[in-house]
Amino acid sequence: MNAGFDRKQLAAEAVAAWAIAKKDMIIYYLKPNIVIAGLLFPLFMFLAFAAGKNVPLGALIPGLISVTILFSSSSIEPVSIPIERRTKTFERLLSAPVSLHAIVVGESLSGFLYSLGIALVPLTVGIVAFGDTISSPIMLMGGMLLSALCFSTMGTLFAAYPTESPGDIMSMLNLVRLPLIFVSGTFIPLDAMPPIGTAIAYFSPLTYGNDLIQSAYGHPASFNPLADVAMLVIFFVIFQLIANRLYAHFND
Amino acid sequence: MHAIEVNGLEKRFGEILALDHVSFTVETGEVFGYLGPNGAGKTTTIRILTGITAPTGGSATIFGWDIVRDTTQARRKMGIVYETSNVYDDITAWQNMMFAGELYHVGRIDREERGKELLEIFGLWDRRASRVKGFSKGMKRRLTLAMGLIHDPTLLFLDEPTSGLDVQSNLIIREVLQSLTERGVTVFLTTHNIEEANQTCDRVAIINRGKIAAIDSPERLKKTIQSVQSVEVAFEGGGARALSELAGLPMVSEARKVGDKVRFYTEDPGGLLREIVSYADSHQDRVVSATTLGPTLEDVFIRLTGVQRPKSREEEQ
Ligand SMILES: Nc1ncnc2c1ncn2[C@@H]1O[C@H](COP(=O)(O)OP(=O)(O)OP(=O)(O)O)[C@@H](O)[C@H]1O
Ligand SMILES: [Mg+2]
Repeated sequence: MNAGFDRKQLAAEAVAAWAIAKKDMIIYYLKPNIVIAGLLFPLFMFLAFAAGKNVPLGALIPGLISVTILFSSSSIEPVSIPIERRTKTFERLLSAPVSLHAIVVGESLSGFLYSLGIALVPLTVGIVAFGDTISSPIMLMGGMLLSALCFSTMGTLFAAYPTESPGDIMSMLNLVRLPLIFVSGTFIPLDAMPPIGTAIAYFSPLTYGNDLIQSAYGHPASFNPLADVAMLVIFFVIFQLIANRLYAHFND
Repeated sequence: MHAIEVNGLEKRFGEILALDHVSFTVETGEVFGYLGPNGAGKTTTIRILTGITAPTGGSATIFGWDIVRDTTQARRKMGIVYETSNVYDDITAWQNMMFAGELYHVGRIDREERGKELLEIFGLWDRRASRVKGFSKGMKRRLTLAMGLIHDPTLLFLDEPTSGLDVQSNLIIREVLQSLTERGVTVFLTTHNIEEANQTCDRVAIINRGKIAAIDSPERLKKTIQSVQSVEVAFEGGGARALSELAGLPMVSEARKVGDKVRFYTEDPGGLLREIVSYADSHQDRVVSATTLGPTLEDVFIRLTGVQRPKSREEEQ
């Protein structure tokens, strides 16, 4: 196959992925359960942690941003894909002349953009209400973008499980997301955890996303920022590949 | 080159053998009917041919492209109208059309032009800005068809396109099919409606329990069971009495009510007509009309699949 063909197919894949994302944005952004999962849930977690501590609230904002991105980016596809399985609209995507990769990217894209929008809420509140200062906007952006990429793809990955009920996927997802909050240094710093907790933290993408965002706020970092970036990219690639395999596998 | 070539296709779902070594070819420009009762394997065949599901054995090509290996190429010129009207309820008819166009990489200008043209053809242009949620079943079906045509496919898969639709929707769909075939579009159509297959298809494959029972033109299929003939009679007295009196004749192999008429199957239509006339005389029941019929596609279907004939037409569907 020649390069001209490949470029044309690549363009087709990009157009299709963007079309899928747009469609999800129009249909799902305002669904109540998605708003609750994406915004209210992290807020309550935050308040729960804040209540038991005597640190200034502003200091907890970076952790809140990380957790908000984790929840909001992985909340669209676990709802939209089972619903579309039920209405059989998902078959449209599965039978379109594009690769599964394009479908996974398109699905993830809506969660990605959604979480960035939602994360602006705690970010702005931190700056306006608690006088947070951001020492490295670049690191903040990098941390937010890569976290959103990772976790939106994770949401799409979980949604590969062939069910027509969003609840099934949400429960599986929460089995992973909730523990992640505790072992990733978001509200409880890594060095305040028992060794086993620190060991688990290495396997959590939230650790690296949170680490970047904490550094951006001038908080002490656990890893080199470049290591954080590398780990997030690796997690994203792994999630993308696994998601692709799962969709191919369950496609019966 | 064949539009579709299927070789020894097999699909297992655990214990169930949904397709059992199915082979057939569909020529370019042909309307190919795939006729079978519920659960025969029609949708499974379409899902394999469109690359949604992988076969567990055998192979299939679309215009020469292997559907498993070259899935994307095989799909480019393929339009699919799914068994369920899978439109997006929460967006408008127009947004549905545009989304379908983008999925198939139709440029904006073409997309909008064809979108308008198709919505007009399918009688949905006035409702283009309405959310699909409020559409009737027939409107959703028509929108599903319009979406399947947005990229000007040369091969169209239709999974029970007219099942459960009213006359108007049915007519629009028939007309569109007609004009597509005039333009040389190949159509693969599944149905359990025998009359539809008879009227619209160049060739029909009869599938039952995952196996192809016969493939031929509707006319030739009927010829294969020429011995099955029937006489359809309308009696002034309604026919119930005639049915019970005449069904027992040795020359009648089967008798049943068809609407307001009674249909008698026989190998000797002439002899049977004489019996009917003498019955009418002796019972003071006038014969309003009597027609001798050759075998129908339905007869072929029943003969080949062993499906029970419904007790009366009204009970169908
Ligand atoms: N995903 C699946 N898992 C298990 N069995 C399946 C699956 N899909 C289809 N089958 C089985 O395969 C057989 C063929 O089903 P298929 O849907 O192809 O029939 P059909 O001819 O389209 O019937 P209908 O007229 O009802 O639409 C059936 O026995 C069905 O139960
Ligand atoms: Mg079917």
